[in-house]
Amino acid sequence: MPLISLIVLCAATALLTNRFLSPFNLTNILVQSSIMAVIAMGMTFVIVGGGFDLSVGSTAALSGCIASMVMLDGGIVAGVVAGIIAGAAVGLANGLVIAFLNVNPFITTLGTMVLVRGVVFLITSGAPVSGDTGLPAEFIAFGSDRFLGIHYLVWVPAVLLAVLSFVMHATPYGRRIYATGGGREAAYLSGVPVRRVIASTYVWCGALAGVAGVMLAARLQSGQPTAGEFYELTAIAAVVLGGASLQGGEGTLYKSVIGVFIMIVLGNALNLLNVDSYWQRVAVGAVIIAAAAAERLRSRR
Amino acid sequence: MSHPAASAEGVTKRFGATVALDGVDFDVALGEIHAVVGENGAGKSTLIRILGGVHRPDGGVIRVDGEQRHFANPRDAIAAGIVTIPQELRLVPALSIAENIALGDLPVRRFGPLAMVDRARMREEARALLGELDFDPDPRAPVASLGFAERQLVAIAKALRRRCRVFILDEPTAALEKREIARLFSVLARMKQQGTAVIYISHRLDEVVAIADRCTVLRDGRVAAVAVRGVFSVSDLVAAMTGRAAQEAITASLPSGEPLLVAQPDGAATLCVREREVIGLAGLLGSGTSRMIRGLFGAASEPTIVEVNGDKRRLASPADAIAAGIGMVPGERSLGLIMNQSVRDNILLPNLDALSRIGWLNHYAGDRIVAELMELVDIRPRQPELKASALSGGNQQKVILAKWLARRVAVLLLDDPTQGIDVAAKVQIHALIRDVVARGGGALIQSSDLGELARLCDCVLAVRQGRIVAGLDRTAGIDEPKLRSAIGG
Repeated sequence: MPLISLIVLCAATALLTNRFLSPFNLTNILVQSSIMAVIAMGMTFVIVGGGFDLSVGSTAALSGCIASMVMLDGGIVAGVVAGIIAGAAVGLANGLVIAFLNVNPFITTLGTMVLVRGVVFLITSGAPVSGDTGLPAEFIAFGSDRFLGIHYLVWVPAVLLAVLSFVMHATPYGRRIYATGGGREAAYLSGVPVRRVIASTYVWCGALAGVAGVMLAARLQSGQPTAGEFYELTAIAAVVLGGASLQGGEGTLYKSVIGVFIMIVLGNALNLLNVDSYWQRVAVGAVIIAAAAAERLRSRR
Repeated sequence: MSHPAASAEGVTKRFGATVALDGVDFDVALGEIHAVVGENGAGKSTLIRILGGVHRPDGGVIRVDGEQRHFANPRDAIAAGIVTIPQELRLVPALSIAENIALGDLPVRRFGPLAMVDRARMREEARALLGELDFDPDPRAPVASLGFAERQLVAIAKALRRRCRVFILDEPTAALEKREIARLFSVLARMKQQGTAVIYISHRLDEVVAIADRCTVLRDGRVAAVAVRGVFSVSDLVAAMTGRAAQEAITASLPSGEPLLVAQPDGAATLCVREREVIGLAGLLGSGTSRMIRGLFGAASEPTIVEVNGDKRRLASPADAIAAGIGMVPGERSLGLIMNQSVRDNILLPNLDALSRIGWLNHYAGDRIVAELMELVDIRPRQPELKASALSGGNQQKVILAKWLARRVAVLLLDDPTQGIDVAAKVQIHALIRDVVARGGGALIQSSDLGELARLCDCVLAVRQGRIVAGLDRTAGIDEPKLRSAIGG
């Protein structure tokens, strides 16, 4: 279903404007989708586990800035690792509060969303992080160069999708995430350590938001404290477009990635068709609601 | 001749490839209690859902007072005077009794364009309606403060207020105690006298024999028999439902072996489940038998200390209990199954670690085990990819048993395992429990059905207010009256 929507959307856009299928535009769509796809994969873990995470945009900004700061003195590897660990730490905090203190995920992550953004501004004083001479050249190259003709930024979600799909579908741990989201009490009574499973989904989500933040820093050639705003909303919309249920227990990583493509292609198409940017927002919002409503109507049968 | 209050003529309903109802004729007259019985999947629920406006028939006609009707939704059916009291009562717990009864049609006082809820009248109406049911609570009390039997009366009062002439009661006694059942029956008898038509769905055939004027038996979506009061017995009904004579003999108890599970579930008396032994826990609703079962499975708020095969174990979570070789079938099937997942995933859930090597799930071995177990416990249909929610209650319960059979658990804890399940599935589940026991396992079963305990158990412990107060042994004889007096029912 999501795949068909994407194909129809691409076909319609290609018919309306010949610029859509240009190599430049297609590459642009892939690169734009890559960062959001990484975030949406993390979001899929959380949503399948029955949760919700609003803090990913702020977390991505935190990771991008920390990675940039550490990189300036400690080298690229240390920077990347520090950025991802920072993301995972935010996720762990979310997970512990939600799973072990039973605080509502919406409220908890709304709190961390605001809190983490504040921390980002504190540590950066609100200014972009790129040092006096800029971030290391190899890191900036990672944000723009290609391997086998495809951007490094696109390889990241491609590899992650393969590995994480395996984790979700072929390992006991993955099946336990689905079970926990599908029926927490029933999963508990089947011996699933539901609290740990739930907390772990937020760690994945935070770590992947961290990866996305590092990718974003590479692309922007700096750690931007304002980066990633509204990413959480796009990611949640993409996961829902991909057919995941906000009740938990349903959802697939690759379909979430298709959901990301739908969001990005839609924005791209509206741009190419010179739709006014205010109207673009109206259109995107309407599409999200329409897609969710269509899914409900379909599942009612 | 007057028309029946409501009737279905040649009603057919298909869900995908499954024919749920195949040309069913059914009618109920005013002042009649008409029971509908049948195995799971026989079409009972589909029939009452069509009469209640939930489903639309693919063929056939629904008439109310002789007039053909098409219900687009439950609201249409209620407007036509047909109301269903479902098993899960649809009341709003946080609202008061009076508000629940009036909900959807609140009495108002008008001040020009303004309308204000007339609370005094609402309370008066509630008091009058409940009074007719011999129930006299404070109508301002929240429904959440009532027990299930009382909530059921509130639901009935709500229907009475709508002047409904046809009542459909779906398994109304599944969660009731004997005394409450007697009260419900007297309410039904009075409604009948006042000329209401009652359609009564139940698995408890003795009840059907006791109160029904007529009984329709469904089998595989068709009417297998219609009998009038006085000419049918429980065994007739079972024979018509299953197409064969009912047979569940009390099996001879096996010589018991070594203790498998030793615990003090109430902190004082010792409970011991041995090899090849079924132990029962009998108690009234709320006596603590369910809590004991949960506790022994490590699912209570405090960790439990038990002895399994002679080793002391601290059970802080179900995972600990499962590791110790204990399995549990919970009282609500929604707690035993992940409803939106497949039968296969549900059966494999407690067995994932056993089926994986270095973190990789062996799908091939999993499929084989699932196929074997579906055959062994006879889950129908044999479709491992079907969602658990699509199965009938009896088959869902078999899936829950299959989860633990796959692990070959030493001790099976069962919390009212056959509640709301038809007779044939019940017999199968009893056979499966005996099977586990015959192969050297032990079982501890809590049940609201004392007859079930008497038939199944080698020893029954009577529980009152969270304490084990007596033990009845098979050698001294266990029967329902003895159990009833032991638990104070």
